[in-house]
Amino acid sequence: MGSVLAAASPSPAPAAVAAGGGQGVPGLVSVPPGFTMPSVSSVPPTSGSGQQTSDADSLLPNPGTYEECHRKCKEVFPLQMEGVRLVVNKGLSNHFQVSHTITLSTQGDSGYRFGATYVGSKQTGPTESFPVMVGDMDNTGSLNAQVIHQLTTAVRSKIAIQTQQHKFVNWQCDMEYRGEDFTSAVTLGNPDVLVGSGILVAHYLQSITPALALGGELVYHRRPGEEGTVTSLLGRYTGDNYVATLTLGGAGAHATYYHKANDQLQIGVEFEASTRIMTITTQDNWVVGATLEKKLVPLPLTLALGAFLNHRKNKFQCGFGVTIG
Amino acid sequence: MGSVLALSSGPGHQNWPFSTDPPPSRWDRRDGRLPNPGSFHSLHRSCKDVFPQQIEGVKMIINKTLSSFFKVSHTLHLSAVSPSYYRFHVEHLQSDDYSKDKDAPALIGEMDSSGSLNAHALLHLSERVRARTVFQTQQSQFVTWQFETEYRGNDFTAAVTVANPDVLRESVILVAHFLQSVSSGLVLGGELVYHRGRAEEGGILTLAGQYSRPNWVATLNAGKGGAHASYYHRANKQIQVGVEFEASTRTQETTTSFGYQMELPEANMVFRGMINSRCIIGGVLEKRLTPLPATLIMGAFVNHRGDKLQVGLGVNVG
Repeated sequence: MGSVLAAASPSPAPAAVAAGGGQGVPGLVSVPPGFTMPSVSSVPPTSGSGQQTSDADSLLPNPGTYEECHRKCKEVFPLQMEGVRLVVNKGLSNHFQVSHTITLSTQGDSGYRFGATYVGSKQTGPTESFPVMVGDMDNTGSLNAQVIHQLTTAVRSKIAIQTQQHKFVNWQCDMEYRGEDFTSAVTLGNPDVLVGSGILVAHYLQSITPALALGGELVYHRRPGEEGTVTSLLGRYTGDNYVATLTLGGAGAHATYYHKANDQLQIGVEFEASTRIMTITTQDNWVVGATLEKKLVPLPLTLALGAFLNHRKNKFQCGFGVTIG
Repeated sequence: MGSVLALSSGPGHQNWPFSTDPPPSRWDRRDGRLPNPGSFHSLHRSCKDVFPQQIEGVKMIINKTLSSFFKVSHTLHLSAVSPSYYRFHVEHLQSDDYSKDKDAPALIGEMDSSGSLNAHALLHLSERVRARTVFQTQQSQFVTWQFETEYRGNDFTAAVTVANPDVLRESVILVAHFLQSVSSGLVLGGELVYHRGRAEEGGILTLAGQYSRPNWVATLNAGKGGAHASYYHRANKQIQVGVEFEASTRTQETTTSFGYQMELPEANMVFRGMINSRCIIGGVLEKRLTPLPATLIMGAFVNHRGDKLQVGLGVNVG
């Protein structure tokens, strides 16, 4: 089942379930850059949203969410770019932003995508406001939509829907509770009462010391005729300028290491081993890739150039894009 | 009959905008005599230079000038549709007077990472007589070997080319060119191609004419093998436009192309765009990154009929 990656908030663990129908859904909801989005800080020493650690010795900080543990490392990796892309972002007001994207692709489909983001007025922090509604529609009619809302100071909920043209591919709802030094979340994915299928994911992450956080994930999936569970354990250690995360479970092992060498250089290392055959996502070996993004200063333009070379399969991709606004 | 396949040369190959040379013209004589019309191959060149070159994948070119006679360039090309390669290119000029002239006497060689060689030798045997030799191999097999001699008179040019002479197979291609300046703007000429193989032989005659004014040039080649017409217009210092029409009786196809070149010297940028009747639209942007001696090239070609897109990036250093 494809997962919707958002700038914030819980979403079900990406590769933990062998659900039958999920195809690689195109287009994740991406929040336009530079817009105030409720961002949940992922590294405990910098204080998490809503939790003030006045006395760092006696109070353990909130560890952030389960998904964000690997995210800091993943963000360092360049996006695979191919073809030509033009993005125009327009802020219509403090609350509303709209984006138009035209993609010409060498391998996939070319198209036009329209995205809109609405941020509400209930402000819970200096950069966070709720509710957040993000929607994206393709020229073929595929829709991605998310609504994120902070119900109380500790509870946040999210609803996400993805369609492929007119067919619903992904519909999920989740709820996250942030305690003082722990976070727990429950996600219900693709519940189908008529067929009797669905996926239930429960996450729990606890700060043991200011630097160490341990947690677990339990995935229960059910289809007519079969049901099963997958469990994983997660440990994250944060140093002065590095973060190391390890996930072990029924679905394999995933380890990431993120290092911030100085203000200009950040490094990430990732290792992934899977026990089941991945038919949707492919991890290719011997891939070399790079992306360069440059802001063309007097104009509100950003130019992005990227190239990826897969030595093993001898495949090469290159692309460039321009973002306006 | 196409003769010499173009060399992959570095910048300076197309109308590089920052030169202060006047618009393309032949040798201008102020004494009232007719100028020499140049060579037959360069009749359509000013129009062709306006069109963007098809660019694909990532290409990195490093040019190094070792002395005023000797230039070297390394090219690394990573491509999605064709095999990636490294190419080494070396140029040795006979004298450093004509460094910008395309027909300067030089020895040029290019070697591929697969072993393909491309070698040109241009010699000025005397003030009026030039000779050119071309060898091209595809890995170890010789594809082209040709020898050309050109005589430049006061107001005419005559050239004879012997291409792929093969004594064992008894095959040869002979090409004779003649161009005559008829008036200060008009040039007329022709090309005769004779090819002979073991089983067949034949000849094709093509007539050519070119009329040029200070701002525009119109050229036409017509013969039994097809027609090729081109029109080049320089609108102002920044914009040049070219229109080209090609028809071939062998493939029974015609193509019309429209291209333009826009130069912005203040922004160190050149943009070339084209659209043609095969529903191909393309554009290439070249930008000089000023503090560094580097040029960034970005281009894309879309074939609407076949629904294909080709994207290319390049960096030229030096």
